[in-house]
Amino acid sequence: MSSVEAVITSIQGLSSSSSDLSALHDVLKGASESLRTDSDLQLSTLDQLDPSKHSLGYLYLLDVLTCGPVPREKASDVVLLISRFINACDAVQIRLASEKFVSLCKRFKDKVLELRDPLRGVAPLLTAVRKVQVSTKRLTALHPDCLQLCLQAKCYKAGFSVLSDDILEVDQPRDFYLYCYYGGMICIGLKRFQKALELLYNVVTAPMHVVNAIALEAYKKYILVTLIHSGQFSINLPKCASTAAKSNFKSWSTPYIEVGSCYNDGKISELEAVVVANSSDFEKDNNLGLVKQAVASLYKRNILRLTQKYLTLSLQDIANMVQLANAKEAEMHVLQMIKDGQIHALINQKDGMVRFLEDPEQYKTSEMIEIMDSVIQRTIGLSKNLLAMDESLSCDPLYLGKVGRERQRYDFGDDFDTVPQKFSM
Amino acid sequence: MAPSSSSGLTFKLHPLVMLNISDHFTRVKTQLNPPSSSCSNGNNNPSTGDATTLPQDFRVYGCVIGAQKGRTVEIFNSFELLLDPTTDTLDRSFLEKKQELYQKVFPNFYILGWYSTGSDANESDMNIHKALMDINESPVYVLLNPAINHAQKDLPVTIYESEFHVIDGIPQPIFVNASYTIETVEAERISVDHVAHLKPSDGGSAATQLAAHLTGIHSAIKMLNSRIRVLHQYLGAMQKGDIPCDNSLLRQVASLLRSLPAAQSEKFNEDFLMEYNDKLLMSYLAMITNCTSNMNEVVDKFNTAYERNSRRGGRTPFM
Repeated sequence: MSSVEAVITSIQGLSSSSSDLSALHDVLKGASESLRTDSDLQLSTLDQLDPSKHSLGYLYLLDVLTCGPVPREKASDVVLLISRFINACDAVQIRLASEKFVSLCKRFKDKVLELRDPLRGVAPLLTAVRKVQVSTKRLTALHPDCLQLCLQAKCYKAGFSVLSDDILEVDQPRDFYLYCYYGGMICIGLKRFQKALELLYNVVTAPMHVVNAIALEAYKKYILVTLIHSGQFSINLPKCASTAAKSNFKSWSTPYIEVGSCYNDGKISELEAVVVANSSDFEKDNNLGLVKQAVASLYKRNILRLTQKYLTLSLQDIANMVQLANAKEAEMHVLQMIKDGQIHALINQKDGMVRFLEDPEQYKTSEMIEIMDSVIQRTIGLSKNLLAMDESLSCDPLYLGKVGRERQRYDFGDDFDTVPQKFSM
Repeated sequence: MAPSSSSGLTFKLHPLVMLNISDHFTRVKTQLNPPSSSCSNGNNNPSTGDATTLPQDFRVYGCVIGAQKGRTVEIFNSFELLLDPTTDTLDRSFLEKKQELYQKVFPNFYILGWYSTGSDANESDMNIHKALMDINESPVYVLLNPAINHAQKDLPVTIYESEFHVIDGIPQPIFVNASYTIETVEAERISVDHVAHLKPSDGGSAATQLAAHLTGIHSAIKMLNSRIRVLHQYLGAMQKGDIPCDNSLLRQVASLLRSLPAAQSEKFNEDFLMEYNDKLLMSYLAMITNCTSNMNEVVDKFNTAYERNSRRGGRTPFM
């Protein structure tokens, strides 16, 4: 009992400046073991502390309280408490004990999933991600959890806001795989196939020694998204994928590869036959919806190919060539594609002719200026990052050692100073 | 503050005169205070302070020449003179010698007056002025203020005439302000432009020259913008009725505005946007190329640093 009160008084006293905080941190680390066994620590004792001022202490106590199994009635209380804490806590204090915070949030996410109410956890986890992040370019362990909750709760827009930051530094590769995989799924949900493709591509080509289950699932989705987005399928993985991936992925995802090669031939009926044959596999992977979208996109791809061959075409001819039922459906498809901006065409309804046009973008408008300006700014930012990477690589001892080894062969008198083979650090 | 002149003469000043005076002043100043000795002076005499302030405020003197046609006095050229410290007048023999030489080359020009530097006209200047009165019965006195004042918008050049005013019952000559305009010949405009746009002497790279050129254009447009804004405010005040309407000024403003390029037509907007977009696309392309080459370097370095199999033997390093 006294230890709990002692801890609480020390928390209240030492939460003001950074030097006090480090002292408090040590105190808490020492006391956490004893607190675990102390039965006096209840949820009600937390009322004595203010989460925004005493974040560090509050975090430790919460952690101790929730590490054991929590009965069902109390689960929603705990969830409420944790979400309030996350909203109110002070980011600086949290970063001192970021692993504890991360594990607390993971437990929070599990409880929320247990309660089958993922929507409650989305907003707190979003704030948690922002608070734990040291800089916006760094991936934390909380990113994939946040995205997973967004997927479960089907609020894709919230997840997309997390995805819009470019990630440049990664701590744990597993976080990165999960982040890209979930991120790809969120983008598919929002129908932003370009960004989904980028994220899934990152997972598929990530360096790995053995086949990773996350990467395998991502590869299956990657095939389907390439079909939907760009209408082409190549049986080989991109060149930069790891050798483990190249040799093993194909054997694990045969139905998808069949779909892909059938897509390339361009016949709707065959494709549908293949889909029906393998539908059980697709259902097992929860990819049946995506496969159906891919089938629908085959029509689009065929119509797109027609624009490259013909200048004008009648709607009936389009329907025949693309194997649609009648001219009406063809018209609907063409209209949809014009609206999405995938083709540029004019439909003459009087005689049912479609005239395909060139891209009318003249790059003359002031909106174009804004787009160009933002793109240029983004490129400037990326260029700065590249230069920073270049500098850090130039100072890397591994690099210098290898470069020095080559230079040492040529001693032109005193002009070239020799670089030592090894650097003693 | 000297009252304005009432002689009715119009003065036209050529930029050559102003360049000459400022050049004379700068040359003498650097000769008195050469930059190398000023650095060592900074170590030895901390009392000298910065190199721009001199122990004594000194002035340079000289003569201005030109031609007078009717009521218009046009000041074309100038040359330097020395002030004789004993008599406190300009060196007369030298002046006459120079005058003869100039007369051979420019037979139409004769001595119109003299110039000096400083912030205001002194009493002692009147003596010099009177001494010149036997060459020209009404000489002019051109005064250049060498102090650099960034806030000042106008030229720091004033022209004084002498008039006899009755002060304390005695008619005395005093200096009166005369207004003047700047008159340029085509050749003068080119040389003034050249002097104004002195580029870095080593030529720099294309980038610095482009930057200097663009900065010049930018400051010129900024000044044009601020002047037009002043006019705009003035017209607005006139419309509201705060200032009485001045029709002659309105006519001048109207003629000025008609000479500005009209920039509101539809075709102009289109062309302008297209060219702007083209430039943006080009700079975007340049950025991407730059980034790609950076990326190439990074990848090369990464490969040399972290590749697993080291390549030995048979590799020719790049020299």
